[in-house]
Amino acid sequence: MAEWTECMNFGISVAKQASQVVLDAFKKDKEVMLKSSPADLVTETDQRVEKILISAIKEKYPTHKFIGEESVAAGDRVELTKAPTWIIDPIDGTVNFVHRFPFVAISIAFAVNQQTEFGIVYSLVEDKMYCAQKGKGAFLNGVPLLTSGQEDVNQCLVVTEIGAERDDLALYTMTSNIMRLLKLPVHGVRAVGTAAVDMCLIATGGADVYYHIGMHCWDIAASAIIVQEAGGVVIDTDGSEFDMMSRKVIAASSLPVAKRIAEVVQAFPCRRDDVDPSMCICGASSC
Amino acid sequence: MEDPWQDAMDHAVALARKAGTLVRDAVQNDMKVMLKSTSVDLVTQTDQKVEKLIIESVAKKFPTHCFIGEESVAAGEACVLTDSPTWIIDPVDGTTNFVHGYPFVAVCIGFAVNKQLEFGVVYSCIEDKMYTGRKGKGAFCNGEALQVSDQRDITQSIVASEFGSTRDPEVMDKVFSTMRKVLCLPVHGLRGAGSAAINMCHVAAGSVEAYYETGIHCWDFAASAVIVSEAGGVLMDVEGGPMDLMSRRVVAANCQVIAERIVKEIDAFQPTRDDAAAQD
Repeated sequence: MAEWTECMNFGISVAKQASQVVLDAFKKDKEVMLKSSPADLVTETDQRVEKILISAIKEKYPTHKFIGEESVAAGDRVELTKAPTWIIDPIDGTVNFVHRFPFVAISIAFAVNQQTEFGIVYSLVEDKMYCAQKGKGAFLNGVPLLTSGQEDVNQCLVVTEIGAERDDLALYTMTSNIMRLLKLPVHGVRAVGTAAVDMCLIATGGADVYYHIGMHCWDIAASAIIVQEAGGVVIDTDGSEFDMMSRKVIAASSLPVAKRIAEVVQAFPCRRDDVDPSMCICGASSC
Repeated sequence: MEDPWQDAMDHAVALARKAGTLVRDAVQNDMKVMLKSTSVDLVTQTDQKVEKLIIESVAKKFPTHCFIGEESVAAGEACVLTDSPTWIIDPVDGTTNFVHGYPFVAVCIGFAVNKQLEFGVVYSCIEDKMYTGRKGKGAFCNGEALQVSDQRDITQSIVASEFGSTRDPEVMDKVFSTMRKVLCLPVHGLRGAGSAAINMCHVAAGSVEAYYETGIHCWDFAASAVIVSEAGGVLMDVEGGPMDLMSRRVVAANCQVIAERIVKEIDAFQPTRDDAAAQD
């Protein structure tokens, strides 16, 4: 729809503007706070950038809704309704940002009737603007993107992350997933430190499959549509249809590769993003 | 006092840039893949073409110098470091990345005299980042001085490593047990670019605190070792002794304290040394 193109272009311009705040802070020392684990970091810049993005978008589109990482951390509920909704990660790769490891992205997705209409991932240190609108292809700095099309898992380069959890079950699950994949074998396993940029590398064809467990909807909503519009597929790690609230994803060059990865990868239990955070992971109101 | 090896280093930078352009162009085109060692240890025509370009050019300008090149060794040349001025070359570090178009691929040229590393050049050609280090004169990336991170706390660190190209189950068990121990320190995270040289340049640049790996070859880390050292970092063996270029193992870190902490977690093993044939 033409009106969503205008929204996307506006999203791109606010991402570019907000990136200046991140770039200014990038070279400096940061005060770091912990969220759910000693590897789950947040800074004042994350919070500031999200405020800038939301207030700019709200001013232009006052009826639109928001799901933002830092707003949720501050107590907002995650609820994807039929209303036009912006799903925002102000800094994907906060650990990288803190360390000046140059892969840091602003991620903005937009959904209407619970369907993603467009996605923007701005890898700002590299100045790489990835975007895709439903039915209109995916682009990197204006150049069309195409996944590798690889259908043979033994010829695949895999990208993933260990994640921020440091409990035994999560770490064992994540590392043993990698070991099983290496033994298939695959060509190799890589990690850049941001889900959004990892998935965009699948869209470029530079790698063939990304999978992760434990990330959030704001980490992957934008890059999922970028992969799909570049000709790739996105599914759940259990092989079922992609569900951005499930905290699990496989993004791949082809369906055969995605399904093969789903056979190998195991998940550890994660509370869905759209579930009341006071509920237990298992679904009970208390354990 | 004039630097006796400045000329050689300038030549190395120019060659790395020329070779890197070749590699970058090849990423757009069909690449022939031949298998080497295992189905996950790849080599292409470009690896061989680039190494030939570098060696021929250097041999013409410096006819008495010696060479250790990855593809020459694969073709049967000895891997021996003598006192002679020696160029230690990895034409394409990150060949798997190169084959896939994954953007971390480096041309690596190290230079040693009397078995001491004098300079190193690592050209991350898809990113267009020229990393250099000259003993006693600092390390640079695209002309900007490099400085390692000042982090002293391992729990505030990022660590880089790789899973390697061997699928031997015993080796894989050690790789993964080490990884789990490092993660549980805990560290902020683990990164893997798929190129030993580029991982080490990230240490030199201050964006990761440490890199460790066993199974690499001398040509993978000779150049980047100088760059790390000149950026203020430290190098050691995975068991804590001095770095040994032929040992197939290295720890590169921003400081002694971080390096030693990583060494404590490593389940060490010893692959066949690069100079093993010479010792027979």
